[in-house]
Amino acid sequence: MIDTSAMGIIQVEEDVKIMPPNIIITTFDKIINWGRLSSMWPTTFGLACCAIEMMAAGAAHNDLDRFGIIFRGSPRQADCVIVAGTVTKKMAPVVRRVYDQIPEPRYVIAMGSCACTGGVFKTYSTVQGCDSFLPVDVYVPGCPPRPETLLEGLIMLQEKIRNEKARWSPWR
Amino acid sequence: MPGTYLPSEYLPVLIFIIIAEAFGFGALLIGMIFRPKKPYYEKLMPYESGITPTGEPRYKFSIRFYIIAMLFVVFDVEAIFLYPWAIVFDKIGIYAFIEMNIFIIILLVGYIYAWRKEAFEWD
Amino acid sequence: MAVTEVRITIHPAGIDPVQIAEKIKELFPDQVIDVANFRDQVSVIIKKDMAFAILKHLHDDPLLSFDHLQDLTAVDYLKKKDVRFEVVYGLYSMKYRHQIRIRAQVAEDNPSINSVVPIWEGANWHERECYDMFGIRFNGHPDLRRILMPEDWEGYPLRKDYPLKGPEIENDWIGFREVIRRSQELKEFEWEG
Repeated sequence: MIDTSAMGIIQVEEDVKIMPPNIIITTFDKIINWGRLSSMWPTTFGLACCAIEMMAAGAAHNDLDRFGIIFRGSPRQADCVIVAGTVTKKMAPVVRRVYDQIPEPRYVIAMGSCACTGGVFKTYSTVQGCDSFLPVDVYVPGCPPRPETLLEGLIMLQEKIRNEKARWSPWR
Repeated sequence: MPGTYLPSEYLPVLIFIIIAEAFGFGALLIGMIFRPKKPYYEKLMPYESGITPTGEPRYKFSIRFYIIAMLFVVFDVEAIFLYPWAIVFDKIGIYAFIEMNIFIIILLVGYIYAWRKEAFEWD
Repeated sequence: MAVTEVRITIHPAGIDPVQIAEKIKELFPDQVIDVANFRDQVSVIIKKDMAFAILKHLHDDPLLSFDHLQDLTAVDYLKKKDVRFEVVYGLYSMKYRHQIRIRAQVAEDNPSINSVVPIWEGANWHERECYDMFGIRFNGHPDLRRILMPEDWEGYPLRKDYPLKGPEIENDWIGFREVIRRSQELKEFEWEG
C-alpha cells in the first residue's frame, strides 16, 4: 500500500485517518452509519402506560433530543418505531401497518414487558409479545422501564447500527 | 461608451448557476445511489394512522383562491410595467407622465369593479 | 339596585333503602324474588318480565326519583344458582340521595331482556358491553353491536366457561391470523442489522 506516514496522515481508529488539522478520511460505512445513528427519529407509538415513561424520557430531565432523537408523528418521516405498551389483537394490524409504512432502514424497539412478551396479561385479547408479527431489534424490559432503561435500549440500538456493514446501496 | 456590458463580465453568474444546480441534483443523485429500494403493497399505501384509507383523497376547495390569484397576476404585471418607466422617468418628460396616469386609471376602473363585486371579501 | 333572587329547595332526606325495597314488593308482589341486605346495601332480585316497568316506575315516581343510573352490568353464576345470568342496575337519586340495586335474573337459553335506554340514555354503551362480554341481548336497543372486542369475534369472553387464555392460535380471530400470515410473507423486506 502507499506509505502515508510521510504525508502526515495519522490513523485514529480502524478505518479513520486524519490529515491534520482538519481533513478526515474514512469509509462510506462509517460515515453512513454515523449519520443514521446520530439522528434516529422514532414514530410515537405509545399504547399504554409505557408511553408515559417514553414521554418522560423525551422530556427535560432525561433528554432524548441530545442524542438527536426527535419524535415524528408520521411513519413516513421516521426511522424506527418504539412499541410502548400492551399490544391487543384488535390493535395488531394497525401496528403492523405502521411498521410497513416506515421507509428503510427501519428498526423496532419493544419497550416494556407487554410489548416484549405479553407481560402479566396471558389472556384472550393480548398478543404475547409483538415479535410474533414484527422483527424486533432491541427488547427493553420493565413495567414500565425507567427512562434511563429506555435510554440504554436506544444506545444499544445505536451500537447495533454502528456495526452494520455495507447496508447502503440499492442492492442490499 | 457608457452602458455597455461585456459578456465575460457575467462569468460569476454562470459559475453560480452551475454550483447551485450541482447542489440540487447532487443531493438527489447521492440519495439515489445510497438508498434501498424495496417497495411492496402495504408500504406504498397512503398513510391513515395504520388503517386502510377510507373516503376521497381530494375535496372541493372554494373558487375565491382562483379569483385572488387572477387579480394578483394582473396587478403584478402592472407593477412590472411601472419599474422601467420609473427608471427613465426624468428623460421622457411630461408626456410619459400623463400616459402612465391614463394606464393606471384604466386599471383602477377594473379595481373598483372588483371591489364593488366583492372579489376582495374572504368569507 | 338589582336584587338577585336565590331559591334553595330543601328536599326531604332520602328514604331508607329497605323501605324502598318494601315499596317495590308492595307494588309488584309477584315479580320480586328476594331482597338481599348486606351492611346497608340493599339489592332487590326481580324476574326479568316486568323489569322495564319496575325501573320506569322507580325513575318516574316523584318520591323515589332515581334519575341517575350509576352502573349497568351483569354477573354469570355458572351452576351456582338456578338462573345463570343476572343483570345488575345500580340506581341513585340525585334529588333525595338514596340508592338501591336491582338485579334482574336472565335465563341461560335465549338470554335477553328489555333495554332501559328509553329511560336512561347513558345505558347505551353499558348494554353494548354486556352484550359483548356475556351475550345478553337487549330488546329495543338502538345499536346493539360489540364495543370492546373486534366486530367479528366469536364467543363471549367474560362468561365463566370461556378460557382465560383465549382460543388456540388455529381458532383465533381471523384478523390476527391474517397479520401473522402476512408478516411471514413479508420476511424478505425486514431490515436486519
